Amino acid sequence: MRRMEPGEARNTLSQLRRGVVEYCVLALLRDGERYGFELVRTLSEVDGLVTSEGTIYPLLTRLRRDDLVTTFWQESESGPPRRYYRLTESGREALAAFTSDWARFRDGVDALLTKGGAG
Amino acid sequence: MSTVQGHPLVDDYLRRLERAAAHLPRARRAELVAEIRRHVDEALLEASARDEVAVRNALERLGEPEEIAAAAGPPARDRGALELVAMILVAIPGIGWIAGAPLVAFSRSWAGREKALGIAICLLPVVLFAFGFVAADGGGSSTPLPVDASPTAPADDLELGSDDGGLGPIEVLAVLVTLSAGPLAALYLGTRLRRPPVPGMTSA
Repeated sequence: MRRMEPGEARNTLSQLRRGVVEYCVLALLRDGERYGFELVRTLSEVDGLVTSEGTIYPLLTRLRRDDLVTTFWQESESGPPRRYYRLTESGREALAAFTSDWARFRDGVDALLTKGGAG
Repeated sequence: MSTVQGHPLVDDYLRRLERAAAHLPRARRAELVAEIRRHVDEALLEASARDEVAVRNALERLGEPEEIAAAAGPPARDRGALELVAMILVAIPGIGWIAGAPLVAFSRSWAGREKALGIAICLLPVVLFAFGFVAADGGGSSTPLPVDASPTAPADDLELGSDDGGLGPIEVLAVLVTLSAGPLAALYLGTRLRRPPVPGMTSA
């Protein structure tokens, strides 16, 4: 058996985070479109979810290329035009699938972490 | 349009990002830099301050440029650069085939059968020539020239005997095949070219 280094738990978390954040973006778009800065700020204010705001932009690009979101530009009253993101139909489906998978995953892990599976 | 353009800290940050993202295709890199620039704009607008503290805060929240560039994907070679070089090489008769064929074989933009057919087309003249030489050798050896007889036979006769009639129809055909096989192979490969797999979400 491979011994797990102390730093590895942290690394695991950062990998887990990377996979989950994109669904958090989709979740933020569930009830309507939002612009990039708004998305990034909202995510970065969730404790422990995002370590640096800048890394979310490549993720947004990836979501767009995978056709899970679409974008459009809109004038802003306060500054330059903003790029808005909107959920596509396949984005909505991906979010629904993840939502139920995640609930099972979380409950399973929680059960093991808190009670050692004895329950 | 960009309100923070000119701030030395921001300029420096964006330059670092541009350098760190050098491995990305030009369009993606430009888009990433533009996104980050807009983000800084918005952040300063929201902070309603343009002083150094506000700029430093905004940049710190963004994270290291190298980290952002790394999140944009692993170093990906320019889409189609290898394929373009391979097709150009294949189109050049001679040395081009030798250099082009392995590139075609190495590329992931063609299916195995397409590679085989493309390489076969550009190697066709080589095969034909080999065949032609064998045939010529065969023709020559059917009337072997005794070494002892050479002193008596005039040299001129020998040359006439070796079919010195300029370019016959076979030779013209051979030249045509030689010159057109490469471009034909390149053309075929060009029509079969498909985009290399784009790294999806799950591969991140």
